[in-house]
Order: sequence, then C-alpha cells, then structure tokens
Amino acid sequence: MATVTPVRPVDATPPGAPGPRGARRRSGDGITGYFFLSPWMLGILLLTLGPMATSLYLSFTDYDLFDTPRWIGLDNYARMFQDQRWLRSVQVTALYVVLAVPVKLAVALAVALLLNSERKGQGLYRAAFYGPSLIGGSVSVAIVWKAMFSDDAAVDQVLRVFGVHTGGWSGNPDFSLLMLVLLATWQLGAPMVIFLAGLKQVPRELYEAAEVDGAGRWRRFASITLPMISPVVFFNLLMETINSFQVFTSAYVVGGPNGQPAGTTLFYTVYLFDRGFGDYRMGYASAMAWMLLLGVGLVTAFLFRSARGWVHYSGEKA
Amino acid sequence: MVELKRFRALVTSVAALLLAVTVTSCGGSSGGGGEEETGPVTLRFSWWGNAERAGLMQQALDLFHSKNPTITVTPSFQEFEAYWQKIATETAGGNAPDVLQTDFAYLREYADRRVLYDLKKQEGKNLDLGDLVDGLKGVGEIKGGLYGVPVGGNTWGFVYNPALYAQAGVPEPKLGWTWDDYRAGAKQITEKTGVFGSSNPIDTYYNLELRLRQEGGSLYTEEGGLGFDRARLAAFLAEGKKMADDKAALPVEKGVQIKPKHALESDLVAGSPAWDNFLDRYSKATKAELKIAPSPSDNPQVLGQYLKPALLLSVSQKSEHPAAAAKLVSFMINDPEVGKIFGANRGLPPTNAQRSAAQLTGPLAAVAAYEDGIKDKLGKTPPAPPKGAGSLEQAFIRINEELLYGRITVDQAVDQFFTEADETLGN
Repeated sequence: MATVTPVRPVDATPPGAPGPRGARRRSGDGITGYFFLSPWMLGILLLTLGPMATSLYLSFTDYDLFDTPRWIGLDNYARMFQDQRWLRSVQVTALYVVLAVPVKLAVALAVALLLNSERKGQGLYRAAFYGPSLIGGSVSVAIVWKAMFSDDAAVDQVLRVFGVHTGGWSGNPDFSLLMLVLLATWQLGAPMVIFLAGLKQVPRELYEAAEVDGAGRWRRFASITLPMISPVVFFNLLMETINSFQVFTSAYVVGGPNGQPAGTTLFYTVYLFDRGFGDYRMGYASAMAWMLLLGVGLVTAFLFRSARGWVHYSGEKA
Repeated sequence: MVELKRFRALVTSVAALLLAVTVTSCGGSSGGGGEEETGPVTLRFSWWGNAERAGLMQQALDLFHSKNPTITVTPSFQEFEAYWQKIATETAGGNAPDVLQTDFAYLREYADRRVLYDLKKQEGKNLDLGDLVDGLKGVGEIKGGLYGVPVGGNTWGFVYNPALYAQAGVPEPKLGWTWDDYRAGAKQITEKTGVFGSSNPIDTYYNLELRLRQEGGSLYTEEGGLGFDRARLAAFLAEGKKMADDKAALPVEKGVQIKPKHALESDLVAGSPAWDNFLDRYSKATKAELKIAPSPSDNPQVLGQYLKPALLLSVSQKSEHPAAAAKLVSFMINDPEVGKIFGANRGLPPTNAQRSAAQLTGPLAAVAAYEDGIKDKLGKTPPAPPKGAGSLEQAFIRINEELLYGRITVDQAVDQFFTEADETLGN
C-alpha cells in the first residue's frame, strides 16, 4: 500500500498529442479500454456464459453425451425429489455446511485474536497458520488426510493414548464427514487473514474506555470486537457458506464417486459428477447444477436478510 | 519510462497471444483433411493402464511403425475411471480416437450408440482373426457386427495364501470344493490365525454371475434384462451378510479404507475370488506366496467360469482410416513379438501364436498353468452385457456396502438394486 506512486499517463504523452482529458476519454479511451478487456470479455462469453446457457437448455433434455438431446421439460427436476441418492446428497451437503462453516469461522477468529497481539515471531505464526490454505484444494492433501485417518495411522494411535478407540475414520460412517470438516477447518487461512485485517481496524480507544469502565475480557470481546468486525464476519460467513456447498476435491478423493463409506460423503457435487460422467446422464446433471445454484442463491439471500439484524457498518446509526 | 516499457511488453504479449490462438486454430482446421489411404496416415490410439503398460505399449507401437512406416500412431493413456470420462467427452465432441481400448461391460453401450466401427468389414482383409484361441472367438460380436477384438483373456478363480491355510489346518482349495467348504474354511482360518479367511464375496458382481451360471442361469437374459429374481439376490446377499457376522469375511470398513488396493495386497485376508491375471499384481504387492485355484461350486458338473476378454480393441465409427486402424488391431493380437513384449500384462495373449511366444515366468506361468488345467471346464462366454451394465455394477457394489455397514436390511438392498436396474436397463 505504501509504495504506490502516482502515475499520470497524460503527462507522459509527447507534445502535440490531442487535447484535454475529457474529450479524449469520450472518443478514444472507451475503445482502447474494451480492447484491453476483450480477452476477459471473450473468456466470459465463450467459457462461462455460453456453457451456462447450454447447460440450462440441457437441463430440460435427456442428453446422454452421445445422442441428440431430446426435450423432456421439467422431468429432470421432478425426478430429483424421488431420487434417494439425490436426497442423500442434499442431506450430506447441508450437514457439512452446518458443521464446517461455524467451526471453521470460530477457529479462524480465535486464531486471528491470538495473532493480533504483539508478540515475538508473530509473522512466523501467521505464515504457519496460513500455510495449509495455500495447498488448499489439492488432491495430495486429501490423500494424506485419508491416510492419517486410517486404521492404526497417526490419528488412531494418538486417540488410543487417551483411551479412545474409533478405528480408522475413513472407513467409519459415523466419523467420515467429521474428518472432512476437520480438513476444512485446518485450512482456515483465508478467513483468518480477513479477520485479522478487521481486528486491526478496531480503534484502541474503545478498549481503553471500556477498560476504564471495568469491562472484562469477555465483555470487551462481545460488546466491542464482535460488533465492530461484524461486516467482516458477514463477509466470511457468506464466502465460506458458498464454498462449502461446492466442496468436491477432498470429498471425491476420500469417498470416491459413491461417497464411501456407506454414502456418508456423497456430496452434492460428487453425485452431480457421477451422474454426468459416470452414468452419462448429462441432462440430469445439468438440472442438478441449476438446482444447486438456486439453493445457494436462496441461502445467500437469507443470509443477506438476516444481516440487517446483526451487521453494523461504521457511520451507521446503531 | 518504466511504465511505458511495461505497456509495450503488455501489448507485445497480447499480440503474441492472439497470434498463437490464430495459428493453432488454423492448424486445427487443416489437419482433418481426407488423405488417400496410400499416403502417410496418423492414428490416434487411447487406452487405460499405468506407466508400466505405457512403456510396453510404446515398444509395441515402435515395432508397428518400423513394419508399417506409412502409419504413425499417437498414443494417449489414462487410469480406468478417468479414461471412460475422457472417451465419453471426446466422443460427444465428435473427436473420438481412431483406435480405442474397450471393456466388455461398456462394449454394447458404445456399439449401440453407433460410436464403434463394424470390424467385420475389415476381417480377412486388414484384420486376421483366424488364430484367436477357442474361448475368445466371436466375443466382440453384437447383432452380427464385430465391435471389439479381444487382446487378452482371463477367467475367475480363487487366489489364496497357502501358508495361512496350512496354519489353520484347512485343506487347500482344489477343483471340486464346494461353497460350504469355502465358508467353513474361511471361518476356521479367521479363528485360528487372526487373519480374515476371505474377502466378502458379495463385494463383487462376478461372484453373483458365477453362482447363477453354476445353477444354469446367467446374469443377464438374451433380451438384456436381469437373469435373476429378487429371492435369488436376497439369498446371495444374506449369505454374504452372514459371513461378515461370523467374521469369516473381511469387515467392510477395513476394505473401504485401503481402496483402491485389494485386501490380498495388504495381507488382510487369506484368500479372495479374483480374476486370475491379478495373481501377478497381488503377488508383487505382498511378501506372501500366493496360489490360485478354481472357484468353489455346489454343482460338480458345472464350474461356471468362462474365458472373458480382459480388454478389447475397437475402432471409432468416425475414424477416417479404418483400414490402417484394423491393421494396428491385427498387429496387436497376432504379432509374436507383441506377445513377447506384453506377456500377460493384459491377461493371457489372445492368439495361439502370441501365447507360445510369450515367455511367462513366476505368477504369470502359474496363471497359464491354471487356465490350461481347467480348459475343458470353462463354459461359453456370455454375450456382451447390456447398455448400462457398467453403472449397474457400481450400484451393486455401493448398495451391498451399505448392507454390510448395517445401514439397510437385505430386503431394502434388494429393493434398491431392482429399482436402479429398472431405471438403468429400462432406458
């Protein structure tokens, strides 16, 4: 932030170049701007909006990758509600979102609070806590994670020291989802950094004033920190919720296309992928994708609505 | 000044990028021209397998090129699951490879969808099928057309660890042993040695097929429906459930955790029904010495096993060079050098010439001896499974896993399977 040097392109133009800024902007800059944007515009049109429109169309057909798609109206959408595996995948995903998002945010906030104080080697700690997020969605981490939670592997052995006998979590339907929640929590870097930035913005005077009034630690946290960083909490909540609905890589690596063990890791996206590329039911898979968009949209709308009650922006009247 | 330099660099790189896009798109459009068959031909060839097979394949393809200098082959390979995803998308995009490896379970699906070329048109011209071993003759035929040529054959069997059998005082499996022998032996091994006696037979579709064939039935009817009823499936599943409850078979959670490895590779079981050529893979993974025996059968007359095409080669309907493609397929199954290169990597070689050229040692020699020993006990190879068989096999595995986890009952498992079968085979 401190190294920004003001750049004035107009000053750099050779003498004799066309006149005042306003006029130039109207005639030439617009086209140049669009020219520079064109790679991204083309990308969005060809690689995002085009496929999205196609997928919307396919969701109303019985497309199977080989034969010409046949229009079947809303059949795909209607069939979902009778599809046991679809219902299971919705359950699994919902349970995961409800577990993983609060746990991850709570831990991220706790870590951010610890890292916010002045201490020696703080930079090192920050890097250490952020590290796991850099290798985020990679396949290798999920493989290592699965190996750690197998019979007689690291986690099993540590728990046994405390007299807990669970066996390998990756083969146990009662623990398999929890294992993925822990994986998500471990990768708390992104929300943690944002929390940290939010915490730095809280004015010190507020704490000093509260201390003078005799407020304890918990009181200061609940009455100053939380309300002051509530926009950041909201932002993190939103991002994590949307991301959690779309978790795929770790689930696919741990549970495969069938959501092993016993369908407990059959996430929505995993089932969608299996339907499309395993069973070649592309029409159905497309319909599932739009249903997911609808579901995430509804949840997001709900979060925005609820935010009115608990998110405080500075400059706003409480 | 620095800004201006950066700006120039940006413009140059954007221009370069645009140029590159234009050049490659031009290249793409001119490549598909229809050359005469006499000129140089480039074939795309896809298969599934691992790095070891890729190395062998490259040797074979180099040999092919030296014998057919006008034909160049561009190979590409994947793991099994990713392979089918890729082939499906390539085919949908009208861009299927000229020659592709196919699996028996998917053959009809692709043939029915007119994705595959009828190799009957090349038989006797560029494709020589005369030397195929008896059990593999005609196996890639569907409704009078030939859509796949087997490049290797295997058969079912029981792979076991003789040391554990000896330790438990259970006689080793041999031709004529029954399912009761199998279950009692497995239970005794678990009790005496602490190693589970067997993997659970209901974790594989082929064990059900084996039982049905021993009773004179089949997995699928001629019309492509299921060849068994609810009661038969319920009885089969109940047996597996009981083996798990008796601790005769490996608990499901142990098997799930080691996937994609097999329990024999991790020394978790004393034996398991398996494809015979896997004896080689399992032997390489474990220190234990493994042996193979014929499957148990309650019907002394019928063993129920057959020679299955371990994998097939097919030619794409859209290929512009079917003659050259057929030549490659013919070379792959007939050339003795190729037989020597692959050994039994793809199952035992499909033709007599390749079988005698392949110098098999160790477990592979054991597999060859095993197949030779039960040659006249093998039944007729069933027709290629109906469209959707691949998905249904997955459903079978998934549902039985839930059963073994105790999440559903046998009746619920049967219901679920028949519902999915209706949906999959009905369409």
